[in-house]
Amino acid sequence: MKRHPEGWGNRITAVSLLLIVGIVLTVASHDFLVMHVAPPIYPGPGVTESFLLGDIVPNISGTAADTTVYVLEGDKEGGTVLLLGGTHPNEPASSLTAITLIETARVTEGRLLVIPRANRSAFTCSEPQEGYPLVYEIETPSGPRTFRYGSRGTNPVHQWPDPIIYVNTSGQSLAGTETRNLNRSYPGDPNGFLTERLANAIITMITLEHVDMAIDLHEASPEYPVINAIVAHERALPIAVEASMYLEFEGMQIGVETSPQNLRGLSHREWGDFTDTLALLAESANPAQGRLRGQTNADLIVYGVDSYYVKAAKNGLLYVPFTQEGHPIDERVGRHLQMVSMLLEIYNTTTDDRKVVSTDIPTLSAVIDRGLGAFLAPPQDAEL
Amino acid sequence: MTWLYQAITAGVIFLIGWNLFRERRLVEQMSAALVLLPLILRVLMIK
Repeated sequence: MKRHPEGWGNRITAVSLLLIVGIVLTVASHDFLVMHVAPPIYPGPGVTESFLLGDIVPNISGTAADTTVYVLEGDKEGGTVLLLGGTHPNEPASSLTAITLIETARVTEGRLLVIPRANRSAFTCSEPQEGYPLVYEIETPSGPRTFRYGSRGTNPVHQWPDPIIYVNTSGQSLAGTETRNLNRSYPGDPNGFLTERLANAIITMITLEHVDMAIDLHEASPEYPVINAIVAHERALPIAVEASMYLEFEGMQIGVETSPQNLRGLSHREWGDFTDTLALLAESANPAQGRLRGQTNADLIVYGVDSYYVKAAKNGLLYVPFTQEGHPIDERVGRHLQMVSMLLEIYNTTTDDRKVVSTDIPTLSAVIDRGLGAFLAPPQDAEL
Repeated sequence: MTWLYQAITAGVIFLIGWNLFRERRLVEQMSAALVLLPLILRVLMIK
């Protein structure tokens, strides 16, 4: 090959490089596109119905934001409680708690509405520069179940571009990327960004379905102050405080925070302000989210063991205890389940005709003893 | 707004591709090929 005076490049190298680009694109595209296939959820005997959020709020019908709502309804009439998992798909105990309830729990009185993938779009991408695994597995007695570890925000493929500054529908100024954060977008806007439309759809559903109490499940990094806690709108504060007291009596340490009046766009604030529901949000400790973590892999998500966090705890840098045992997913989901159970119990003491009575919700000690997989349905097909 | 950004991305892809064929320095061609990857993934709305 004859060298051009300026270098070795020519049309042949250009075409060769384009071929290489094509091969890399094919491989990469497969990896990205397969993220859009959702791992199955197997509704248990307690699920009486399921529908798409877009069925009752057509504004999001057919979009990547539309998501399934599972209904667990008892024979006896009562109230309605909404449980939201997967607002942030990089907080896996949130959606896993919702999935466990769908596959295990029963309701004898009233209705429990469960959304396991509140921001479904955010399950289809990963957080840039975090090195997160795309999936993790939970071992069940019949084999492993696979789940997605997603992003905090809506997939940019579904909502792009981000503004430089995001002023949400409550008037709060935020970083531009927060425009894809469902839990900064409430009360939402039916004509706004996709995430705002989703937020608006959830608020609308709370109103249309007469949701008496709504619980938004989350996780937080161990160095974040609001952790192992319930954040409550002021109208829901008595229930949160009483629930936390009883949980403490049972040996589960959990704090209560009042939803700040001037922190706008979050579920515990806007659900309470814009609807009649009792708005609550709960956090558990996820070391995979933290900035102090070491190697980031599926084991960190599932077993929650990290030597750097042990060291950080010894230096007093964390807001949760952190030992060699870490914070495994069994503990984190178990905490959420026990808390949901207690919140329902306390809520039921405040009403005569709007009760929601649920049975078969696994306790924290049962999930720790038997493992979360014991409460999940067995895998039925080759998953993912 | 999304269609406008897609149009801008498609334009940049065309310019980089054009540059890839005009460029005579192999390292610069390789740089152009690398830059094409994320842009094509985005214009096809895959990533």
